[in-house]
Amino acid sequence: MEGGREKEEEQDGVSVHSPCKAPPSSASSLPKEQQEVELELRLLEALEIYPPVKLRGVHRHFVLYGLMEFLRKSLDRHFSPDEVLQLLDRFYNLEMLKPDDEEIDILNHEEDFCLPQSYFVKEEP
Amino acid sequence: MGSSSKEETATDGDTSSGDTPPSNSNLFSEGERVLAYHGPRIYEAKVQKAELRKKEWKYFVHYLGWNKNWDEWVGADRLMKLTEENVMKQQALDKKQGVDKSSKSGRSSQSKPKSSADAKADKEDLKNTAPKGRKRKSDSGVEKDNSSMEKLVKIQIPSTLKKQLVDDWDFVTQQDKLVKLPRSPNVDDILTKYLEYRSKKDGIMTNSVGEILKGIRCYFDKALPVMLLYKKERQQYNEVVHDDVSPSTIYGAEHLLRLFVKFPELLAYVNIEEETLIRLQQKLMDFLKFLQKNQSTLFLSAYDGPKGVSEGKGKGKDDD
Repeated sequence: MEGGREKEEEQDGVSVHSPCKAPPSSASSLPKEQQEVELELRLLEALEIYPPVKLRGVHRHFVLYGLMEFLRKSLDRHFSPDEVLQLLDRFYNLEMLKPDDEEIDILNHEEDFCLPQSYFVKEEP
Repeated sequence: MGSSSKEETATDGDTSSGDTPPSNSNLFSEGERVLAYHGPRIYEAKVQKAELRKKEWKYFVHYLGWNKNWDEWVGADRLMKLTEENVMKQQALDKKQGVDKSSKSGRSSQSKPKSSADAKADKEDLKNTAPKGRKRKSDSGVEKDNSSMEKLVKIQIPSTLKKQLVDDWDFVTQQDKLVKLPRSPNVDDILTKYLEYRSKKDGIMTNSVGEILKGIRCYFDKALPVMLLYKKERQQYNEVVHDDVSPSTIYGAEHLLRLFVKFPELLAYVNIEEETLIRLQQKLMDFLKFLQKNQSTLFLSAYDGPKGVSEGKGKGKDDD
């Protein structure tokens, strides 16, 4: 009848049979907070190079890639694009940012494609 | 007061502080035009600020003709006086890089191809290798801050793909032929295939690749009508692509490859850390290799003739 109960008692952690481990307490949440702060600081640092407004234009995926790389290098772990965007969301409402597509950019200037001369020159060994 | 400093510097005092040893002497002054190392090359720059930090002089430089996003603090080891000797160093490095530097050293320095393509090349305005946004010093004496074209990431297109581009040029501009649209596989398909291929190889962590591929698609959709079409293809474009149809669902490898010719210029309008640019370049190269590996299945070997002529080669005339 009571056979199945044993496990549950163990799991409670207060049974005399189980080692007395202190549950994860506030002791470890402090480093966690520090981690969060560090993360946010790094992100803000990254934004100096990769301004949020660029995340609205045609280059946005490469800007996001730049952010991912910056954070990866600074914090030594991988970040997914979504993670980065979520982080940014703490500071910016990206949808409200006006994309600066009118800015001088090669993609705002129409021209016919032309293949550079170097493609026609036979490559010297 | 009786300072016993006998400076052994060869350079004569720009220094106002006679007390300090050579390494602390201010070699470059604010407003001075200098030559600065950046990456593998040397560029003309201007010292905006000079500061002594931790016993070392640091200079905030602006690269002439570049967007001020590129301005940065550098140490004296990165700078050189603007002398003829140093300018020659700069030119030597330019040659080494083999970059199409028509905007700096004068357009005539570019050697023209000796094939018969030459005369025909002129028709397609090939002599104007510099896209219109490129900085041209000869045009104005004023620094153009809206273009950082000089610092281009290098994308080495494999030689068989280069040949593909030449054939492509030949089909469209010389033979009046067109790529038959819509293409299968289209650009979307190709990017997806590549992602699958990469995922199998890497297992996880295809986040970066995924984002880059999205970037490629984004560029392609925007760039196709703006800069990836030969003049003779515009009519076809207007006929086939309308409303909200995205070019990446219509066009294929032929036009995607043209994007890579323009890629360095596109990226010049985004400020990206140098290390990251290098990684990006590697990933783009890997994609190109994938295209090369699958060249026969992704690219057309023949284009459609003008209307009324049967497609393909070798069949001769239609029976009339």
